Amino acid sequence: MSNTPTGALVSLVPRNSGDENYQFLATLEELKKAGQLTRWVEDHDILLYEYEGEIKALSNICRHFGGPVGYHKHKDGVFTCLWHNWTFSCKDGSCTSHPAYPLRQYALKIEGDKIYVDLLG
Amino acid sequence: MNPPKTHLLTAQFRAEMDCPKEVVMWNYYDHEHLVGTHYKYYNAARVLAERDDWSLVMRSKKMPLIPFYGAGIGFQYMDGNTMKSFHQELGQVLEMEAFFEDLPNDRCSVTVTYRIYAHPVFKVFDSFFKKLFKKWFWATWEEDAPMRLRRWKVHQLGFKDFSGIEYINKKTPRPEKIEPGQYEFIPPVRKSSPIRTVEGIQRPFETSNELGYAD
Repeated sequence: MSNTPTGALVSLVPRNSGDENYQFLATLEELKKAGQLTRWVEDHDILLYEYEGEIKALSNICRHFGGPVGYHKHKDGVFTCLWHNWTFSCKDGSCTSHPAYPLRQYALKIEGDKIYVDLLG
Repeated sequence: MNPPKTHLLTAQFRAEMDCPKEVVMWNYYDHEHLVGTHYKYYNAARVLAERDDWSLVMRSKKMPLIPFYGAGIGFQYMDGNTMKSFHQELGQVLEMEAFFEDLPNDRCSVTVTYRIYAHPVFKVFDSFFKKLFKKWFWATWEEDAPMRLRRWKVHQLGFKDFSGIEYINKKTPRPEKIEPGQYEFIPPVRKSSPIRTVEGIQRPFETSNELGYAD
């Protein structure tokens, strides 16, 4: 097994903005440590993770009261928000406990070892 | 007839937070986070009754130094800037007062006093009581503190309950100026779980691989 996830595994979330909106998020090495991390980029709290061979990014801000969705390592394909246990699908950020409140997905771009996030995509 | 003699077991702690006191009050009245944020200590909770700024709550918890879970009933209400609560646990009435005070620059302090008026024979528990509640106060404080700071932070970014942050949801540029207004605490906290039903709520897991809050 390769030690480093490849750029080909990037999420297929459609992009609708230009490259100028991409901001550095993390390195592949950082993501590899736990397969999941959260980080503030400007005023976006972003949950970056690898799931079923794809690297994906969601908003880490639960739409209930603003809790951290990615505090716990995901389990059985689900993130559980630390504060009130709202649950979200790792597949697409849909809210499995309160379906009206999905998480926003972010488009990603990988160049070399660096992962960039599109704050408008 | 003389009143029965009692011995006062008591402990007091004070700490400061980098957020307005209303955020901390919200935290104290948000019963649903007990089995989430404090999942290591609480395994069940149920709101038996609540209205405006009072509530009657059943909690099942395991405190530090005590190796088993115990369920107890607690009543809490606001008296000015003080939250007073009475908990019936293990045959004793635990009284708790949390005094909230504003500090400059959107900061606040919280002073919590725990009291049990017990039979004089309980004097032998003085040291244990102080040690137990010192551990309890700081253990829960450390879990609540980042929750309060984050709640304050997202409020300043324009977060709305049961909605989120508009520029994030709509994928639009962040507004140059965000005017969230004063943080208001209007109890009771809106519920999103069966905590007010006979089933109450249970924690989803006992252990977790915690990765923590965002950098």
